[in-house]
Amino acid sequence: MRNYIIKRLFYSVIIAWGILTVTFILLRIGPSSPVDRYILNIAARGSDVESVRQAIEARYGLDKPLLEQYFDYMGNLLQGNWGWSFSASMPVMDLIGSHWIYSFQLILLSTIFAILLGIGLGVLSAVKQNTRFDYAASIFSFIGISIPNFWLGLMLIMAFAVNLGMFKTYYDTSYSIWSLENLRQLILPVLALGTGELAGYVRYTRSSMLDNLHKEFVTTARAKGLPERTVIGKHVFRNAMLPLVTIIMFDLGSVVFGGAYLTEIVFGIPGLGQVSFNAIFANDYAVVVAVTLISTFLVLFINLATDILYTYLDPRIRYE
Amino acid sequence: MSDAILKVDNLKTWFYTRRGTVKAVNGMSYSLNKGECLCLVGESGCGKSVSALSLLRLFDSPPGRIVEGHVLYKGVDLVNCTPGHLRSVRGKDIALVFQNAQAALNPVFSIEDQMLEQIKVHYDINNRAAIAKAQTLLEEMMIPAPERALKMYPHQMSGGMKQRAMIAMSLSCDPEILIADEPTTAVDVTIRAQIMHIFRRLKTSRNMSIIFITHDLSLVREIGDRVAVVYAGKVVELAPVAKIMEEPAHPYTRGLISCLPDISSNLNRLPSIPGNTPNPLDLPPGCAFHPRCSMAMNICSSNEPFLTGIADDHMVACHLYNARAGENK
Ligand SMILES: Nc1ncnc2c1ncn2[C@@H]1O[C@H](COP(=O)(O)OP(=O)(O)O)[C@@H](O)[C@H]1O
Ligand code: SF4
Ligand SMILES: [Mg+2]
Repeated sequence: MRNYIIKRLFYSVIIAWGILTVTFILLRIGPSSPVDRYILNIAARGSDVESVRQAIEARYGLDKPLLEQYFDYMGNLLQGNWGWSFSASMPVMDLIGSHWIYSFQLILLSTIFAILLGIGLGVLSAVKQNTRFDYAASIFSFIGISIPNFWLGLMLIMAFAVNLGMFKTYYDTSYSIWSLENLRQLILPVLALGTGELAGYVRYTRSSMLDNLHKEFVTTARAKGLPERTVIGKHVFRNAMLPLVTIIMFDLGSVVFGGAYLTEIVFGIPGLGQVSFNAIFANDYAVVVAVTLISTFLVLFINLATDILYTYLDPRIRYE
Repeated sequence: MSDAILKVDNLKTWFYTRRGTVKAVNGMSYSLNKGECLCLVGESGCGKSVSALSLLRLFDSPPGRIVEGHVLYKGVDLVNCTPGHLRSVRGKDIALVFQNAQAALNPVFSIEDQMLEQIKVHYDINNRAAIAKAQTLLEEMMIPAPERALKMYPHQMSGGMKQRAMIAMSLSCDPEILIADEPTTAVDVTIRAQIMHIFRRLKTSRNMSIIFITHDLSLVREIGDRVAVVYAGKVVELAPVAKIMEEPAHPYTRGLISCLPDISSNLNRLPSIPGNTPNPLDLPPGCAFHPRCSMAMNICSSNEPFLTGIADDHMVACHLYNARAGENK
């Protein structure tokens, strides 16, 4: 097991390095440069554009050959220096340090919301198969899966913030992260981001529970005189969880990479999605690479955690 | 008989499926005496397993439902007792051993976990005592290194070991009645011998009352005291083993006995009962065996024969043994 983890960590580093390299190259071979923003301002003031550009590029090493820039960047990264953000005029590390928490809270809350409610509804739906509750849950999950979450976000803002005035239409950073007001203003974003996941989990949980509900070991469990909540909650549920773990962790990856960033933009939450969105348009390669790298590591970590969780849930699985 | 500890009376378990009503158990009656081994024999699909599950209401419901009949145990009808009472009987008074231990054991929990949960639900007992009890049982089932076996998961055990662990589990709350549903069908010959040895010992050392389900008459000879021959969800003949073997009364039983391979018979002409097993979705009217019966009379396709005694310890459901039927011939 330990060897397996070490091997996986090694692969993770290789994958992250690959992604980093591709991102770096894609951003640096384009015709525009991170200094374009400065130049725009300077040009407006009527200075000598070309000499200013050359000065800045020389200062940050942007005039060197691409390969050399790449090695410089890698060298700095290995020393813990994530580079300079031109658009924010601060070290990338500081920029990320002050924004990551907004993404993290959104991803964490919506994941908890989707997993707890999704699994709960799915289990109930399976146990009450073909009842009105089950049909309602199926319709809900079908709709939930089909709605794109940015559109749901816009509709939620329209309905609850604009029309009903229950929430502000923008995310207010003046509240402390740990305040109740902050939690309250995250309700709509969490709904927007979490509903699709939730709907999927209801479906998967329901079908996985149904797959196991009529297995022979369930009859055994009942024949032993166990109460129904143990039969369902222990014997059926644990087996139903096995395929779900993979699905949930896989979805989490797409939340981290896509859903969360879009949701941040819709709700104006200043998280890493917002930051990298701005950075891409400013050609601020160091920021984009850093955010990509963080997301990649997060997903790779989630994958590893899935594998470890799996060995715990299913004793038949052993990694070599 | 006065010392019957379980009485099954005209039990009917039907499955309401999309294709129609499956009358899996259709008027089953028998009683089990203290300390005896009653064998239920019959072709595959005749309702043996469903009848066993019905005793503890363990079949899938929906689609299954007990539409008629009683299961009397200690003065209580298990067909309509409270769920709480039923749970207290399940695994404690009446325990089941399933055909396929591989499927009947939960793959993700250890043997210890699966044994202890049963012991703890029925006894107010601490962990240490429960583990000791589980170990003793595994030892009784001739499982080597019981303390290690307890920590194992089903996939780490051989087929025979799983089957014996399953039997140990079923005995964990000292049941009055053990129901074994084809416990040797899924295992090979050597393991079958071990399992049969265990069942014989249960009878002698624990004076266990056993319902032994099988489609194999040679096992009946080995372990049975009495036999209930089942056809189309019904007991058609009920008698002591020797009597069934020597003087079978029901035409179906006679067919089964003649199918038994025996050293003196010519293996080239192993007889089998002609015709197909009845479709439980559409049972023939009257005697369900009549389309296959060489002795069938007019009345057989219209009137259902009921179990009646033809001797003290011998019951048959067949018009041949009914005086009135003879008249109508
Ligand atoms: N859950 C179920 N739904 C519908 N039909 C069933 C179900 N369980 C068993 N049956 C039917 O009941 C009949 C008797 O089955 P069973 O008791 O398993 O036979 P056997 O004598 O081989 O043990 C079969 O025709 C089977 O198809
Ligand atoms: S009742 Fe009639 S059909 Fe049925 S077994 Fe007896 S003789 Fe045959
Ligand atoms: Mg069966």
